[in-house]
Amino acid sequence: MTDFYQTGIITTLHQLGQPSLERLESELLGFAKTRPIALVLPALYSEFEGPAMPGIVQELSKVKYLNEIVLALDQATEDDFRRVREFMSPIQTEVKIIHNNGKRIGEVYETLTRNGLDAGLRGKGRSAWLAYGYVLARGKSDVIALHDCDIVTYSRELLGRLCYPVANPNLNYVFCKGYYSRVTSKMNGRVTRLLVTPLVRSLQQLTGQHGFLAFLDSFRYSLAGEFSMSTDLARINRIPSDWGLEVGSLAEVYRNYSPRRVCQVDIATTYEHKHQILSADDAEKGLMKMSVDICKSIFRTLASDGVVFSEGMFRSLIVTYLRQAEDTLMKYEADAMINGLTFDRHEEAKAVEAFSRAIAMASQAFVENPMGNPLIPNWDRVSAAIPDIFEMLRLAVDADNK
Amino acid sequence: MMDFINLILEPLQEMLLRFKEFLPNLLAMLVIIGIGLLLAKLLRAILLKFLAAVGFDSWSDRMGFTTLMRKGDLWVKPSVVVGAVAFWMLAIVTLMVGLSALRVAAIDSMVGEFFSYLPRVFSATMILLIGYVVSGFVSRAVLIAAANAGFHYAKLLGEVIRALLMLMILAMVMEQLQIATSIVLAAFSITFGGVVVALAIAFGVGGIGAAQRIIEREIAEEKPKENQDDIEHI
Repeated sequence: MTDFYQTGIITTLHQLGQPSLERLESELLGFAKTRPIALVLPALYSEFEGPAMPGIVQELSKVKYLNEIVLALDQATEDDFRRVREFMSPIQTEVKIIHNNGKRIGEVYETLTRNGLDAGLRGKGRSAWLAYGYVLARGKSDVIALHDCDIVTYSRELLGRLCYPVANPNLNYVFCKGYYSRVTSKMNGRVTRLLVTPLVRSLQQLTGQHGFLAFLDSFRYSLAGEFSMSTDLARINRIPSDWGLEVGSLAEVYRNYSPRRVCQVDIATTYEHKHQILSADDAEKGLMKMSVDICKSIFRTLASDGVVFSEGMFRSLIVTYLRQAEDTLMKYEADAMINGLTFDRHEEAKAVEAFSRAIAMASQAFVENPMGNPLIPNWDRVSAAIPDIFEMLRLAVDADNK
Repeated sequence: MMDFINLILEPLQEMLLRFKEFLPNLLAMLVIIGIGLLLAKLLRAILLKFLAAVGFDSWSDRMGFTTLMRKGDLWVKPSVVVGAVAFWMLAIVTLMVGLSALRVAAIDSMVGEFFSYLPRVFSATMILLIGYVVSGFVSRAVLIAAANAGFHYAKLLGEVIRALLMLMILAMVMEQLQIATSIVLAAFSITFGGVVVALAIAFGVGGIGAAQRIIEREIAEEKPKENQDDIEHI
């Protein structure tokens, strides 16, 4: 059982006692009448061949409060697309599949490109962004929830708890991030534990009190891929197309809304999904690539907020980070010991070393190119450039789903 | 016996003679069509380059022509469509010119009719394109005005205006192309007239109370004037 302590500048909604799923879902059914909910699922076709998706579909087929489900399917052929439609058929809620590799959606991307709007590289960020656009184009939902499609331990309680804070009109949150413990027989979530938290605290040490760092440090699991938000936020938020997706999205939320309208919710007691390799020697893949992108995203957000980075500061940052990470590592070791969890200290220390290299690489990349990859523009910007883009997107998806 | 053979050979000789006369015409037709198609391909390539240079696709996206194509389930670049239309127009013209080289009376008359119909096709296309842009503009203007005035049905009103204008434009296009003119005119009159009458009845019946209140207010405002004396400030 968790405690009820509130940390940071955002609200934390804990799982206290044994909340009833039936009560939660019946309340959501009521809220959905005035605030209809859309679920966005960014997925690769390969995930339909994995162990997670059958369970997710089975659980979603029992959910009654959803207004629509938008599946943004990537890396799928025409045949794969047809198989996925068949796969999703047990779900009673209306399911629309965005066929990212299809001809029509390809033309939508082409239309954006020729009008100078960069939809970014292929990936979760771009898929999710297009799915938000489709939800906005239909104009039938007020709340958007999103979760990954590789959650092996998925239950509909996760979805219910994720939607509740934004769907409930009495709470009036615009953004809600999920959190959970990434614990099996050992502690997972290395990037959050050993990179993001120590890095954010090191930056706080060096730059002093900063709103964004305090905001980021308030999240128990800032890299969680599960969140819900109002459609207004989906309209004005820009999205990174690289691994800085989660951190970059939080930066946009911080920029556009007061932290009082942001919360995090405990959505699962156990959470297991596919793990990335560390790839300490290759910064172009695995957790190293992810780490470099996350660091760059944090540096750029702070720079855009007026923080001045110099070479000396970056050198100090790496040293400060190492100290912070080593201290953190000891805390986790103690936590693992008391709970009887496996804790490979050597592997964890190696990860810290790799992450410190990632910070150095990100620093260098930032100095060389402070602007970096531009964020995917928000939908307000897109519709200002191409007034009919929503209609075009709706036509493309609807024609694909006929 | 010779007479019988002559009876068979004479028509054959005559046919051969006619074919000899016809052969240069046929060759001329094939050459015209061949060169015409090559020219059409070349012109399409030049047109595509030109449209890309002037940013035609981007302009079409903003003006709504791309969406019009998408509604027809046409998922290619607008410039490609323009290129294809230009190519096929030239191909048809080439075919017609080629056929006229055959010097067959029936074909000559058909070719003449085709060329006299071309200006109508051109003006119908212009009406359709300009009409589509204008209907979009008017519809957006109505939407903005109605939304600013606080009408809940602003979007519906904008769509209805667009649909009515497009109906009128399509009728004009059909009339220009001379396709079932009388039926189109009758259908348009009935539909458009029906909508106007329906709106008139709806506003008339629905606005009885409002009209009554306006008239009563006007009368009430006028009454005190009757009791005013003629004293002026001068």
